[in-house]
Amino acid sequence: MTAPAAPVADPAVRHLTGAMSRSQMRSVALPSLVANWVLLAALFAVGVLYASGGSSARDLLISDLLINLVLVLGFHIFIGNTGVLSFGHLGIASVAAYTMALLAVPSERKIVLIPNAPWGIPEIELSPLVASLIGVGVGVVVAALLGFVAARTSGLAATMITLAFLAIVRQVAENRKDLTGGAQNLSSVPRLDGWSWPLLGAFLAVMIAVFFRSSKTGRLAVATREDELAAGAMGIEVFTPRLVAFVVSGGLVAFGGILRVQSLGSIGPSQFSFEFTILILAMLVVGGMRTVTGAIAGTVFITVGKEVTRYLGDGPDLLGISLPVVDGLPDLFLAGSLLAVLLTRPNGLLGEFDVGSWLTRRFRRPQRAAESSDGPDEALDVDTVLAVPAVPAVPAVSGTGAASESGALTTAGLGVVFGGFTAVDDVSITVAPGRIHGLIGPNGAGKTTFVNLLTGLVEPTTGTVHIGDKELRGAPYKRARDGVSRTFQNLRIFPSLSVRENVAVADLIAHDHRSHRSAVSVDDLLALSGLSHMADRTASTLDYGNQRRLEIARAAALRPDFLLLDEPTSGMSSSESLEMVDHVRRVASAIGAGVLVIDHDLGFITNICEHVTVLDQGAILAEGTAEEIQRDQRVIDAYLGSGHG
Amino acid sequence: MTQFVQNLIDGLGNGSTYALLAVGVSMLFGVMHLVNFAHGELLTISAYVIYGMRSNDISWWATIPVAILSAVMLSMLIEFVAFRRVRTASAFTLLLTSFAIEILSHAAWRIGVSSTPRRYTAPDIAFKVVEVGPFNIEVWDVVSIGVAVACFVGTAIMLRTTMFGLSIRAASEDFDAARLMGVKANRVISGAFAFAGLLAGIAAALWLVRRGQADPRMGAEPLLKAVIAAIIGGLGSLPGAVVGGLALGVAEVYFRSWLPSDLQGLTDSFVFVLIAVLFVVRPQGLFDVQSAERV
Repeated sequence: MTAPAAPVADPAVRHLTGAMSRSQMRSVALPSLVANWVLLAALFAVGVLYASGGSSARDLLISDLLINLVLVLGFHIFIGNTGVLSFGHLGIASVAAYTMALLAVPSERKIVLIPNAPWGIPEIELSPLVASLIGVGVGVVVAALLGFVAARTSGLAATMITLAFLAIVRQVAENRKDLTGGAQNLSSVPRLDGWSWPLLGAFLAVMIAVFFRSSKTGRLAVATREDELAAGAMGIEVFTPRLVAFVVSGGLVAFGGILRVQSLGSIGPSQFSFEFTILILAMLVVGGMRTVTGAIAGTVFITVGKEVTRYLGDGPDLLGISLPVVDGLPDLFLAGSLLAVLLTRPNGLLGEFDVGSWLTRRFRRPQRAAESSDGPDEALDVDTVLAVPAVPAVPAVSGTGAASESGALTTAGLGVVFGGFTAVDDVSITVAPGRIHGLIGPNGAGKTTFVNLLTGLVEPTTGTVHIGDKELRGAPYKRARDGVSRTFQNLRIFPSLSVRENVAVADLIAHDHRSHRSAVSVDDLLALSGLSHMADRTASTLDYGNQRRLEIARAAALRPDFLLLDEPTSGMSSSESLEMVDHVRRVASAIGAGVLVIDHDLGFITNICEHVTVLDQGAILAEGTAEEIQRDQRVIDAYLGSGHG
Repeated sequence: MTQFVQNLIDGLGNGSTYALLAVGVSMLFGVMHLVNFAHGELLTISAYVIYGMRSNDISWWATIPVAILSAVMLSMLIEFVAFRRVRTASAFTLLLTSFAIEILSHAAWRIGVSSTPRRYTAPDIAFKVVEVGPFNIEVWDVVSIGVAVACFVGTAIMLRTTMFGLSIRAASEDFDAARLMGVKANRVISGAFAFAGLLAGIAAALWLVRRGQADPRMGAEPLLKAVIAAIIGGLGSLPGAVVGGLALGVAEVYFRSWLPSDLQGLTDSFVFVLIAVLFVVRPQGLFDVQSAERV
């Protein structure tokens, strides 16, 4: 079980790429933080102006808004980045706030309110700050436990479990009267004066949210949100990023819950209710759950809207007309705006808009254009087939030089049976390192199933997969880290991420798990794929051919030993297919990887591959060089559909 | 033993309402992967219809069909106005949409009628008890169980023998393939909503005859139970939903009679924890939808 000998990349180069991605990350996070802080400060200033002209109720409104913003950003960290809906976060807030309250309410009050509380709680009296810290700590622990369950299950199950958790917390709080005082609120919680703490909390929350989004965990979580399957194929494990996101967001929500209880001065079982959860979710979704700016905008929009409708519902005199008193108008507004947004703009009013990245793009664009005009980008962009400079220590695709760097990709007796149907039967192939190997067969021959078996998406009934003498086993992400990365027949990019980020996420995994392979920087890969000038565009806005190239670039960024391309030319014209031949060769040579190309187009395959395997009805029909295959009578029969059986 | 059988009858009476709702929830999940939390609002509209008609002294015989019809209409309206637009959206959007409709409905009844409950008088049969041997049997429990069983049999026959039933089964297996085979997406989904609405309307009638009041949020709790029942049975499996609903109804009664009094209030929590464990251990529900007939 010795790892195959790997070419060690120049450590200086590797260090440089690592440093670059880190500085790049900071360059995204800082402007976003500053911009969102400025936005928050500006909104706060408007709020203070409004409050200065009115009653103390308006002061309360501002601190309410700031605390809700903390909660919304807490929700955003998990929901916005992972795309999994959670209803349980306010349950965490409730537990944390009860912990704080039980520790901080003065002893003499607790002896009256909850004389029978266990663990000597009536005697304890901590300062509000210490009690709050302990409360957040307990919240984090609870979030870790709940997150462990929620992150293990798939989307819908996670949602249902968190919903159940919210209900359980409430029911326990109602029934453990000795501890919580039951439906009667636990009052005399030390109160916060004014909005200085909520304001500090809101700024802190913005900072945590911005930094989490640009952290490695945050970026991996976002990739799983975009496409769980593709993330797995890029070596990204779903569980850990989701768990960490859940814990961070749970901690922030716990903090928000504590702030809220301290600003009210009391806590009861019905405070962190399902209705309150819907309010926070509406704030998150209406503005745009994926960005911090969206969360801020939604919080302000819903708060202002509810305030206006509450005023109208109280039956004021407006322009000389006295309106009737309408009970429930704010709720109607809340549900109505949530529904309207979901039906017309499911990504929220602002969608992917973030004030920070918007400004960055605005002010960077001219600079980047200037860079690329005299940089190496353009030179690479042109058809410099197989002549790839700027990439250090790349083995040539031809010859046997590449063979020394890793073992061959071999399958031995690989097969799978679905029900009674044998989809793939006893397929043994060997793909030599650094070579381009073709796998063809008519529709339904089992080609994609074979790739799914190789990459762990389908559990094989029989057989094994090896690279060299290392066996590939387990979940797709593990196999990706072991050296196979793939594209998908039906194209699975991360649609709402930028072109660069699509590739950079795979590079991130490569940095940790594929560092023994020589690195090709994200910029070089983009240049190689002719995508440099659209690196900042959202991936879903690219045309089909470019999306195909992006998917290959992303797979290449993982620095695999073998690239598995599942019908890279499906839906392309023959001239586009020819270009794709060159492109695949170029990328493979740049990263020094072997390639297994799956296609049903005999012309394309024989054009690009030295060695070809033909699959028909799940089993190997023929094997050989491209010329041999083209002459093989069985292959011709299978393709023309005559006389095989 | 007497107590055991008595509890069983009570439990099945409650459970039949859950099961009727759960079958609708499960059917909608089958055709469009939606857990429809707005489904409970069909109970609410039926309740207000009953309140409106009974306070005008219209007979129960006329009231009940209209109440059921109102549930069917509202179910189709919700599909037409909301879910049709987000049919291909993520599970996230679908789920949140259903919650938004639920909250909207609550607010609408508060504004349109009042947040205080509206009462109507129950008919005599609702609380009639007959003694059969050692058991006190509520007549309405027997009626509920009977009607529910008739509905389940009817549903099973409908799914097997009608074109509409075939479309629903096909759509539950693979919607895209079903469309390629000529199943009209809008029609089958709208039909599924109508059918689920019909079952919900019948559940509403059975429940509301005894309940005696209408209030804006009344639909939430039974629907939550129905969703739990559907999850126990495996979302998408209709036989599973029936068994899940009945099991939940019975389990609740037993929990109530067995749990010590200071844990009584935690009945739901115990159920939730069991469900959560079930979800982690067997995400597909108690009944394997893959191998069981998936209708």
